[in-house]
Amino acid sequence: MGIREMSIALAAGCLLSTLGQAQTSSQPASLQSLPAPTSAASSDSLLRGEVSAWNQVPLKHIALHRTPPLYDTDEPAALEIPIVEVRCLRAQDKLLVQLAWRDPTQDAVSLPEVPDSAPETRFRKVQTEAEDRFFDAAAVMFPAKANAADLSPSLQMGDPLHPVQIYYWNATRGAMLMEAQGRGTTRRTGQSFPAHALYQKGQWNLTLALPNLPAGTPLAFAVWNGSQKDRDGRKYFSVWQVLQ
Amino acid sequence: MSKHQYAMVMDLNKCLGCQTCTIACKKLWTDRDGTGYMYWNNVETRPGLGYPRQWDRIGGGWKDGALQPSPLPTMDDYGHAWEYNYEQRLYEGKKQPVMPSPEPKSGANWDEDVGGWNEDENYYFYLPRICNHCTYPACLEACPRKAIYKREEDGIVVIDQDRCQGYRYCIKACPYKKIYFNEVTGKSEKCIFCYPRLEKGQVNACAAQCPGRLRFVGLLDDPESPVHQLVRVHKIALPLFPEKGTQPNVFYVPPFNPPKGNNYGKNILEDPRIPLDYLVYLFGEEVKDVLVRLEAELKKAQDGGRSQVLQLLIGRDAETRFHIRPQLVQIQV
Repeated sequence: MGIREMSIALAAGCLLSTLGQAQTSSQPASLQSLPAPTSAASSDSLLRGEVSAWNQVPLKHIALHRTPPLYDTDEPAALEIPIVEVRCLRAQDKLLVQLAWRDPTQDAVSLPEVPDSAPETRFRKVQTEAEDRFFDAAAVMFPAKANAADLSPSLQMGDPLHPVQIYYWNATRGAMLMEAQGRGTTRRTGQSFPAHALYQKGQWNLTLALPNLPAGTPLAFAVWNGSQKDRDGRKYFSVWQVLQ
Repeated sequence: MSKHQYAMVMDLNKCLGCQTCTIACKKLWTDRDGTGYMYWNNVETRPGLGYPRQWDRIGGGWKDGALQPSPLPTMDDYGHAWEYNYEQRLYEGKKQPVMPSPEPKSGANWDEDVGGWNEDENYYFYLPRICNHCTYPACLEACPRKAIYKREEDGIVVIDQDRCQGYRYCIKACPYKKIYFNEVTGKSEKCIFCYPRLEKGQVNACAAQCPGRLRFVGLLDDPESPVHQLVRVHKIALPLFPEKGTQPNVFYVPPFNPPKGNNYGKNILEDPRIPLDYLVYLFGEEVKDVLVRLEAELKKAQDGGRSQVLQLLIGRDAETRFHIRPQLVQIQV
């Protein structure tokens, strides 16, 4: 092997070991940590935006990225929401996570309520108002079970050995608890959770009540922008952050 | 690939545009919340806008093995479902006239009977449409949830409502725009080829109710079925837009009559009322051969002979038009 070939082999080896490290090492240094102080206020009042308590929590700016185009037929999407601001507070048995992001378009509607009675017994049916609109949404993902190896699961909704829970909120359809164990396996559990959202001056302020997760739990965030036809894996995502 | 394939043939020469099929389907399947604007079965005037508007020109389907882009149609393209104020007029004693709301501005078959002009003569025909239950469904390929599947036993394409998340990639991918989004359920839905009826030996509601008796139903691979006879043996029924690459399993006997004025002695290809270009646009070049075959069968009958093809197309009774084989489909699963 000549010097040239050797250096190429070495470079390749280094690259491989770096990649290997990124996948296996516990909590690479690039992960941000999210402070999560404890508040004496009730989780309900915090959910509704008890300002004084929230103001004491340091705010973290977390970079958002667009997922790469998943399908050839997808329209390209610009990075319109580069940052989500995150605050965490522990109160009673909950971890409250507050997400704030700038979005000039509020893509949310109130869908008409569907009566309990069978549609055939009613004079009028509830109608579909539009079939080409998508709504703003956000989610927090974390491992479904404490991981002995202290690894963060795959950002693509975990994997069969590392299932994840997803606390998903949609500006029109509300809060839904989801589970997943790999890309394409996301499933609604049928359960909901407390969430409070406010859209003001071109900004979403969303507070989600999660179970009181232990320090060291990795959290990842996602934002969907309805006006960019976001749904499914077409979205903004963050890398894993570690809860303090 | 499914073991069997249910298919439908529609003879466009017999369609009178009465929408009985549309209503049969609507009463059975889409009389629910969120489904007002949906017509799993629709009948549109051709040439014309279609339902949703311009569905045939906006995209979807396959090209060189890849899905083709398409926008989502808007509600204006389908037409909002309007309701009438019958309550006020009939039950509350209010004197205002019965009016639709919201004000109708577009809808399925909005341009009814407008058609086109061929020199100085008007022409149009009706095109009834259901899901084509394609052999290579673009919708199935497009769904990241794998919510769409093609039934192995009979080739019917259905959407699993539990898996569907309402992403609508399927609607974009379908070149026939035969999948509809229900905003109330947040899921997409489509024609199910009346599989619960077929499983009980009953033909599809649209076919059962058709006063023009223009629909033929059976397994494409069953030599005794009328669809096998019309498509495979007599070769007089063609799929719509074959170049979209999905291989539809709904086939059409192309419209053929009436002749133009002063065309004595000319054949169908020399002087058609419906411009051949338009039929080629819909059914491909092969439509010319089909028209020649149909004209030959007509000539045979006019000369006092008996045309097997025309007898089959007349389809006097249900036994001729429908060949539903629930046992065959179930036994071999």
